[in-house]
Amino acid sequence: MASDTTDNGMSRRSFLRTSTVLSAGAAAIAAGLAPLRKLGQFTSVDEFVQKYYKELSPEEMKAVLARIEDEVQRQYGIRPHVRDYKPMNGVEFVYALNLTRCVGCRKCVHACVAENNQSRNPEIQYIRVLRMPNDGTFDVDKGDHNYAPKSVPEPGVFYMPVQCHQCKNPPCVKVCPVKATWQEPDGITVVDYNWCIGCRYCEAACPYWARRFNFTDPSIPPDQLNLNMSYLGNRPRRKGVMEKCHFCIQRTRAGRYPACVEVCPTGSRKFGNILDPDSEVSYILRNKRVLVLKAEVGTLPRFFYYFDV
Amino acid sequence: MGMRSYLRFLRRCAGVSLKGDWRYYAWIGVLAALCVTGLNAYAKQFVAGLEITGMSDQVSWGVYIANFTFLVGMAAAAVMLVIPVYIYKNEDLHDLVIFGELLAVAAILMCLAFVTVDLGRPDRFWHLIPVIGVFHFPGSMLSWDVLVLNGYLLLNVYICGYLLYCRYQNRKPAKWFYIPFVFTAIFWAISIHTVTAFLYVGLGGRPFWNSSIVGPRFLASAFTAGPAFVILALQVVRRASATAGDGARRQPRGDTAASRRQLHRPATAADLDLLALYLPELESVSPEERRECLAGATILAVAAGDVLLYQGALDNDAFFVLKGRVVVRREEGGRYRTTRNIGPGEQFGEVSALTGTPRAATATAAEPTEVLCLPQESLRSLMRNPKMNEIITWRMGERLMISDRSLLILRAIVQVSMIINVFLLANEIFTEFYNTNGHDVSWRYLVLGLDGYHALVPWFWTALTLNIGAMVILMLPLSRRLKWLNLACLMCIFGIWIEKGMGLVIPGFVPTPLGEMVEYVPTWNETLVCVGIWAFGLLCFTIFLRMSVPILQGELSRANEA
Repeated sequence: MASDTTDNGMSRRSFLRTSTVLSAGAAAIAAGLAPLRKLGQFTSVDEFVQKYYKELSPEEMKAVLARIEDEVQRQYGIRPHVRDYKPMNGVEFVYALNLTRCVGCRKCVHACVAENNQSRNPEIQYIRVLRMPNDGTFDVDKGDHNYAPKSVPEPGVFYMPVQCHQCKNPPCVKVCPVKATWQEPDGITVVDYNWCIGCRYCEAACPYWARRFNFTDPSIPPDQLNLNMSYLGNRPRRKGVMEKCHFCIQRTRAGRYPACVEVCPTGSRKFGNILDPDSEVSYILRNKRVLVLKAEVGTLPRFFYYFDV
Repeated sequence: MGMRSYLRFLRRCAGVSLKGDWRYYAWIGVLAALCVTGLNAYAKQFVAGLEITGMSDQVSWGVYIANFTFLVGMAAAAVMLVIPVYIYKNEDLHDLVIFGELLAVAAILMCLAFVTVDLGRPDRFWHLIPVIGVFHFPGSMLSWDVLVLNGYLLLNVYICGYLLYCRYQNRKPAKWFYIPFVFTAIFWAISIHTVTAFLYVGLGGRPFWNSSIVGPRFLASAFTAGPAFVILALQVVRRASATAGDGARRQPRGDTAASRRQLHRPATAADLDLLALYLPELESVSPEERRECLAGATILAVAAGDVLLYQGALDNDAFFVLKGRVVVRREEGGRYRTTRNIGPGEQFGEVSALTGTPRAATATAAEPTEVLCLPQESLRSLMRNPKMNEIITWRMGERLMISDRSLLILRAIVQVSMIINVFLLANEIFTEFYNTNGHDVSWRYLVLGLDGYHALVPWFWTALTLNIGAMVILMLPLSRRLKWLNLACLMCIFGIWIEKGMGLVIPGFVPTPLGEMVEYVPTWNETLVCVGIWAFGLLCFTIFLRMSVPILQGELSRANEA
């Protein structure tokens, strides 16, 4: 090796060789990175430097909401109305689901997809309905996720829809390394889609399998877009971030019922403010036989199952 | 001045990393090509999203996190070389500590790469940086992992860099500049692996991981696979840094310049003054002690190529170089490797002089050289001076010996760790299978298959066979032979890789918390990304070794900067 170097540094031969190796290496790396040319709008400068939700001033929030409206308009050709709905004082939302009445029709699943602008391809759904055998075990491992009979209900089974339980002690919030998901004062656990780094630790932590990840860019037909959007709720998500049920924040914080409650044909789904003793959910919790799923994991769900009898 | 000489050191290290024989270039070339292939696969994933992997909402972590988990263990295992040296003062592993720590650095770099490719939004990595982003500490175990992994990386880079730079300058490292860091690194290493185990253990909704034995299992398996990898890597270093050709120059035993008493003259006080120029510790030796030492001391002037002492010989003089340069070579398994390259002020031959053991290596003058030759008693009298004692003893430890003995010490570590690892696994299997309490569905899926799904069953049984096979070989005396030891090490590495990767991460997700059975198989693209990261890590490790071996051998030092 020493033979072709001189006291003054590199000889011509070794210089040529070094530059050949370096340029071949640079060319190989460039060729390796070639797929990146197909990368469309991945992020913008404004999106990249955007602050954490809780650190945004009202003015900054206004600018962010306007930017998101622009982004949606650019992508879907239609301008939505994106708002940052705030929790109401004296409100803690609770959900109750009547297992005696649920017939497993999955109308809630589809109403949720439409309301919350979930990806149609790949399909992302917040509600999963299990068909459970009536054998007294109440064991989810025996549940059937893919039941497809001609008509429901079927004999000998009951149906158990599962969605985010909005736990009081949420493991998903505890594990997030960047606090991109947190519990709001009204009990809803939300995700800042612009802060999530996509590590999926929350998805591993959730005992109810309630979180969904955007493994690729979601696709929604523009004519099916719900234009009443909220920042922490149903605005369209992007590739690489987590999402989940948020009790239809854009409806419930404006005094309406979640889409799944509204659509349920059997009235199995009840929703309301547990801090109001006259609410329907308060009545159910006081008077019905109520249970929570996987009480042993200690997450204290705000989602209760009950039976009529 | 200090900065400039440090930059010169870095430049020379970079220079040496570009030099090697055709095997070195071929190895580096293959690794670089695999790196680029992996980069290409990652670019595809970046465009398409993680959809291009085999992961799903059901199995939301895959081979990336599996490899990450395994490699944290490899990084942590560097302490298994550090502990014997610094706590039990085992000199056999002294130089090997640096190799272990370099392995830790390469492993952590791979860990960071595996976490990055697993992120859905790698562009938002800055959200994880304390102060600038929002760091969920101490709540999230992942934030702990960010701290401990990066801290461990810095600690090891610092320790290796400092020790190598001191060696380059032929300066004794100042204890206060590295010993506290070494001890910190020992606890830190245990913490990186415990924290990584807690990532899983802390998830109450996943019974497969939510078991307090997972942490100890992590440590046991790490202390198996890490030293096993080091055993193999050391033999590669030993072979690559040795040449077969030098043996031809061997001369019949006993025919050394010293034994021929060639160009001998008694040493004088002036010779000691000359030595003191290079060896300032000698200043503290009083004139009486010097006179005592000079009794029987001689000066030997030899030509380039003259042999001063032979490996295996039973003579017991000690030598200090006054002028010129001496190369010390050692025969190891039929090959010859430079262990030191010595200039004025440095010593050789003192080990046999002090212990009476046969010469461990052959010393040859590389240029016209003058050495001070001290009989055993003279060296002893010199070492009665505490400063001389300290410097001579320190230098005795500073030589690159990859002896079979040090490999066998590592073997003992691998052996014990593997026994503990298999024992802990047996504990877990018993707990899960003796009682059928519904806690065990993921275990059943892993070991026997569940409801017609059994993608992981072959993985589990392969790992179990490899681990138990390795344990048996390691417990038999035949594993003192390198061939068997290497086989056992390979089995350990692959067995643990499966156990900690596919066998630990994937079954935690199957079935889902809602009882759904969805299996996971890595895609081709995902596999290529993994291969790329492994190639990148091996490339780093190779380059680190390429730089550090000549420094440890004394071939790359400040003395030969010109």
